[in-house]
Amino acid sequence: MAERRPKIVGFCCERHGMDAVVLSAQSGKQMDASVRLVQVPCTGRVDGIHLLKAFEDGADAVFVLGCLEKNCYYDTGSIEGRKRVDYVKQMLAEVGIEKERLEMFNAASSNAWMFPGIVAKMVEVAKKLGPIGGGDGH
Amino acid sequence: MKAKIQVLLCKCCTEQPALLDVEKLKKLAEESNNVLSVLTVAGACDGKDLSGVTADAKLKEIDRAVVLACHKKDINPALFKAYRRAGVSEFLVDIVNIREEAILPHRDEPARAQTKAETMLKAALARSAMLSPLSKQSEEMKTRNVVIVGAGASGQAAAHEAAKAGVHTILLEKTGKTLQAPGVIMTHAQLIGGSGYGGNFELKIKAGEKVEELGAAAVVVATGGGWTTLKGLLAKAVKDARPLYKFYEQMQAGNTPAGPIIVVDTPDPAGKTLKVQDYAWDDTLETVIELKKRHPTVEVYVVFQEMRAFGLSELAYKQAAEMGVKFIRYDKSGMPKVDPKDPTTIIVKDFSHGELLRLKIGTLVFASIPPNEDNKAIADALRIPMSTDGSIRRGSIQRWPVTTPKPGVFVCGSALFPKSRDVAIEEGRAAGAMAGEFVRRGKIEFGGVVAQVTQEKCSACLTCVRTCPYEAPFIGTASKAEIKVQACQGCGMCVGICPSKAIELHNFTDDQIMEATRVLLGGDF
Repeated sequence: MAERRPKIVGFCCERHGMDAVVLSAQSGKQMDASVRLVQVPCTGRVDGIHLLKAFEDGADAVFVLGCLEKNCYYDTGSIEGRKRVDYVKQMLAEVGIEKERLEMFNAASSNAWMFPGIVAKMVEVAKKLGPIGGGDGH
Repeated sequence: MKAKIQVLLCKCCTEQPALLDVEKLKKLAEESNNVLSVLTVAGACDGKDLSGVTADAKLKEIDRAVVLACHKKDINPALFKAYRRAGVSEFLVDIVNIREEAILPHRDEPARAQTKAETMLKAALARSAMLSPLSKQSEEMKTRNVVIVGAGASGQAAAHEAAKAGVHTILLEKTGKTLQAPGVIMTHAQLIGGSGYGGNFELKIKAGEKVEELGAAAVVVATGGGWTTLKGLLAKAVKDARPLYKFYEQMQAGNTPAGPIIVVDTPDPAGKTLKVQDYAWDDTLETVIELKKRHPTVEVYVVFQEMRAFGLSELAYKQAAEMGVKFIRYDKSGMPKVDPKDPTTIIVKDFSHGELLRLKIGTLVFASIPPNEDNKAIADALRIPMSTDGSIRRGSIQRWPVTTPKPGVFVCGSALFPKSRDVAIEEGRAAGAMAGEFVRRGKIEFGGVVAQVTQEKCSACLTCVRTCPYEAPFIGTASKAEIKVQACQGCGMCVGICPSKAIELHNFTDDQIMEATRVLLGGDF
């Protein structure tokens, strides 16, 4: 069997976050295919349970991508999103999952270079840490 | 009830890169549950030849659709109209962006891209079956008033432009100055409070001694800069320092200024309270040229961190230099400061030569304008955010340069940051036009993707009330939270933060999000 492919889930806000993703694709940037994007209206909508459930369903790493904190479409949405991510990070540490598997990013809609970097970073984390619990990932 | 889904494949998005096996995708869609028909269109972005889509949707009585195409914003609105003709609301049309998420970024791995596209289709089908039909409602505006706070250059420009849209303009002016502008002009008037949402504001206005209530459909904030306050180290150290506009007025009045005249960009070079790029350089250059014309012998220095004389102002820059104005650029290593031993001397390190210069102060002038102190009260009244430096914050520099995040509230001129008169007037015109257009519609649309409270679960903890940037949640008569639908923008912040899980956002419920995640993680790519 070929090398195990990491599974990465990205919760991405419909506004600047998604714009940045689309712009990076349109400008021809290439990236690892293992990212699954879930669209939410705003990163403030992301709930702790979404992040934890993603890990439960087999994700190796999860990230949340929102607007810049000072230029968020919904004013304070990405700040709320970051609070949520920080909270879940603590919870992950309590159950013995590496905190690095969860990360929050901010991008402006014109930041085409951001998304490939985020994907590369999360893939690296997933590959370094391996499947959750050190097993075969199932 | 079983969902009846139509899957629409956009040829332009799926076939052009020739990476995907479209037949396989089609077959997968046909074999999926709930899918009644699979169609292809030439392009979802051009909006042509959609009659087949409508006819097929009507024939098979479908009630929702999944479109495999590109970015939601690139889809032609005609597609949504075509579905509306068939009785499918726009909230039940799910767009899957396979072009920018699966095809374009994975050119080198067609096999993985194919699996990814298939998985995305499966996830969209699973999510689509869970969506609920939503509708939009509308409400008439009670008044056609556009209230413009501040009757400076940009405020007057806004009034002129808004009046063109046939709306009623009301200008509020703090001082008693007389001015010419269309509509009602209230002097000695200040905005002190308010409630409501875009379209139907209830404003409290202090006019003279009495407080009046005023209904407004839109508000333009044109407060300008804080003319009365100068803060910062330089302003403190040098007595009689003045802002540029005051200097200009004195010069116009014929008062001979004491030389040498030093124009510094900001009273607080080391601080972060004012942004360097935002100084009104056009006006600075105009003033120093005027000064040199009147008093050719007086020494004039312009001390700046970055000169932004763009466009034709370059000529003014050149003219000023030719007339003998000395321009001194500094950077972080040598901020201008007053000599501790001799308070009439300013020390600055010239960035180009690296030499310390000592300039005798005759008159110290600041090119920048601090933010208006009234901004705080106005932001509180309208519930709009402020920047850290005390000015009004706009929605987005790229998309809405004169709009605040709150619908129906517009902002222009130096209320945003210090700027030259010409730019302020242009911004005022833009804000006025937008406010006029907003009010001319006569009604506001709301609803669709909005939050809803399950009152049995609500514990009235006020978390949502405090979190919402639009003040949509409130505690209703039943002592439970309710959402003011007119104000809700559908961000879902209250939903994510509710500790009792009592709020849900239509079409972005926990189940829908987690189901999509689960299906996406099920695919092996």
